[in-house]
Amino acid sequence: MIEKGKISPFQMALIIYAVVVGTAILYIPFITAQHAKRDLWLSPIWAALSGFLIVFIITKLYKLYPKKTLVEYSELILGRTLGKIIGFIFLFFLLYDTAIAFREYGEFVESAFLHKTPLVVVTGGIALTCAFAVHGGIEVLGRCAIIFLPIVLVLYLIIYLFLIPDLNVKNIFPIMEYGWIPSIKGSLAPHAWLSQFSLLSFLLPFLSDETKGMKWSILSVSVSVMTMVYINLGNIFLFGGIITSTQFPVFQAARYISIGSIFEHVESIVIAVWVLGGFVQLSAFFYMLVLGTSQWLKLHSHKPIILPFGFLIILFSVWSASSFQEMIRSMGTTTPFYFITIQLLIPMLLLFVAVIREKLRKA
Amino acid sequence: MMDSSRRRKNNYISLVLLLCLIILLLAGCWDRTEVNDLAIILATGVDVSKKEAIELSVQVFIPKPAEGGQQEGVSSGTNSSQTLVRSAEGVTIADAMSRLQEKLTRRIFWGQNEVLVIGEKLAKRGIEDQIDFWMRHSEPRERADVFVSMDSAKEVLESMPELERDSAKQLRKLVDSQIGVKVTVKDLSEMLSGEAGAAVIPWVAKLSPSNLGVNKGKNIPFIQGAAVLRGDKMVGWLSDKETRGILWPRNEMKSGIITIRTNGETGYVSLNLLRSNNQLMPKIMNGKWSIRVKTDADLEVIQNTSNLSLLHSKSLKEVERKVVQEIEDREKLALSKTQEKLNADIFGFAEAFQRKYPRIWRRKSSEWKEIFPKVDITFETKVNIIRTGLENEEARKGGEEK
Amino acid sequence: MKVGGIFGITALIVLIYLWEWPKLKKNGRKIIVVFFTLITIGWVLAILLVLFPNMPGPSQLIDFIFKPIGRYWEIS
Repeated sequence: MIEKGKISPFQMALIIYAVVVGTAILYIPFITAQHAKRDLWLSPIWAALSGFLIVFIITKLYKLYPKKTLVEYSELILGRTLGKIIGFIFLFFLLYDTAIAFREYGEFVESAFLHKTPLVVVTGGIALTCAFAVHGGIEVLGRCAIIFLPIVLVLYLIIYLFLIPDLNVKNIFPIMEYGWIPSIKGSLAPHAWLSQFSLLSFLLPFLSDETKGMKWSILSVSVSVMTMVYINLGNIFLFGGIITSTQFPVFQAARYISIGSIFEHVESIVIAVWVLGGFVQLSAFFYMLVLGTSQWLKLHSHKPIILPFGFLIILFSVWSASSFQEMIRSMGTTTPFYFITIQLLIPMLLLFVAVIREKLRKA
Repeated sequence: MMDSSRRRKNNYISLVLLLCLIILLLAGCWDRTEVNDLAIILATGVDVSKKEAIELSVQVFIPKPAEGGQQEGVSSGTNSSQTLVRSAEGVTIADAMSRLQEKLTRRIFWGQNEVLVIGEKLAKRGIEDQIDFWMRHSEPRERADVFVSMDSAKEVLESMPELERDSAKQLRKLVDSQIGVKVTVKDLSEMLSGEAGAAVIPWVAKLSPSNLGVNKGKNIPFIQGAAVLRGDKMVGWLSDKETRGILWPRNEMKSGIITIRTNGETGYVSLNLLRSNNQLMPKIMNGKWSIRVKTDADLEVIQNTSNLSLLHSKSLKEVERKVVQEIEDREKLALSKTQEKLNADIFGFAEAFQRKYPRIWRRKSSEWKEIFPKVDITFETKVNIIRTGLENEEARKGGEEK
Repeated sequence: MKVGGIFGITALIVLIYLWEWPKLKKNGRKIIVVFFTLITIGWVLAILLVLFPNMPGPSQLIDFIFKPIGRYWEIS
């Protein structure tokens, strides 16, 4: 075992929540609204299917191969060569996913505040900070999550509570004006985001109390979906018809807060708190990538390859999209299919083969 | 021993080097902003200019310590202005802004801009392109209040209110009092892109100052009614009274005083509006579109100069009936003007129909312009007088007889 | 500019190397090989990106593979 640390199931739920929801609340409303329009709040509910299915598959696999991560048991299930290939595909995907998450973080900070600062500086700064957390291992991550995420969660709730005087509930009607299709079509991006629950596979082996793993994972999916629905509802109540053209509705909503003309201009606080969540998210991604790679290569320690990987992540984050528009477009069209293919199909295939193997062995 | 100390030294050197590298990154400070490098804009005016398309005027806050303080006593009201107004021309707002920047030593900062005044001429020409800047640029706030001004917007910014620090504050306070419409940039953008394609914006007129001797020629901006936009162009104007009327169907009526006179009485009864709730009930039957405006209002009596005794439920009923009539009259007045003359659906009827009849709406939305003037409007108003004030009529009349 | 970029990247790589080297030595041959492979990939890729910023990358590959389905999600 490379990692000797342990985390509680609650910490695991928080880490995976950060991984999924961190950037989702920024980008999901806009991308979803392009197709779902008024029904954007329904989309995450459809996407919950992906989340629950993946949690089910991953925990099933974990029961068959306890104390092993996806990279490790893919070799046991499919044999050495094939397993290594699948492991590589998954790790390459994870690298890409991590890079995209860094890019999303960077693009948001850029377009909201630091217009002139080069992207690399923003992402490089957070990457270095995350590298320290990754160096500390899973326990540090778990503790960061338990300290920061409650604050972040409260923040998500509070934004729209402060906006209650400006919310117009009528904006969601008519529900499903054009039938089911638009909201299902809009659920593509939430599907992609929720499929990231496959990364649970890298956390489950470090649980202090494994019996509760499944329960907390399901809870984490539910809370993630609820957060997305809540955010989307808040946005449609606030913005109504112009939801399709507001790029960062959550940020704009935070800017819109004004209570008694004293409590306003609070977006800086909102961003500062959001960055805490972003930090946990990015560190978790970074950690899983480094851990997975060292397991794939059967290294004794993951620490020496943290910095080289940090460097690679930054490169990929620059490489992954030429501009913000390009990134948004691909997140709404092709990238989600990549996410779903890798994170849903690979675990499914593994489970399928594993179950057949089990049957054959018993027979 | 030797080896470990060297390793520690190596480690130390590389740590220092790494830290130096971070400092290099930090020293860039690409987006550094210092308060004393900023020209903080409080209000913006957009006009049509003679030479170029747009004339952008800004009211800039002059940061200086509040003079005098307690020693000099109340010295405000004199011409010690805390703001200055500058303007520049350009083909778009952004272009004008870049030229305006040349005239200012400090960087223009939109973050505190809370008022946007649009000149009448520009409003008639169309404002969509101007709102785009407000929604797209990341610095200006979507919360800024929008106004259309009689004559030029620059004049409004230059005017000197008597009670407030500057005209930006003046206008903001006026719309916050909830007597007229209040429209933020976000609301406007929502209205313009909505199904109805019409909008209302508070209308700024000039009030001559109270002390003409000192403040000659300096007008005070105040709000008088509202400008009505169809598409993104201003098509008409509603008076103060008509504006009150549009607030009911828009469910924006939150405070106000209604004064009525019952039949056969010489005196008046004034009532203060406490709460009101409004609903639009659309109906399409046999191809006939109609809407029922349903109002629920709670009021309290604040003055009674008539001989009615409000303790009697009969006279209270009479007053209620009159209030209902008064409210409906106001609504009818506003509706007839916007529906027949201006053909601008500023009440959200289109959205109401869309919500109730999404299928029919999808087919007919393109014909809304022809349908709207023909929509049949009925009213259903319910009024509750929940308090009749602290005084009781019997006591007052007793006094009169003596 | 480009020369500066290449120089900066090289400096960064050297720094990472200097920082990690003392720990690397303890951890055996395998990790040294992995470490050097990774920083070499990083270094080459970084320089390529400096020289050809619009070099097609994994995103283009993903776009190419999933275009047939993703097409239906394009916003016209």
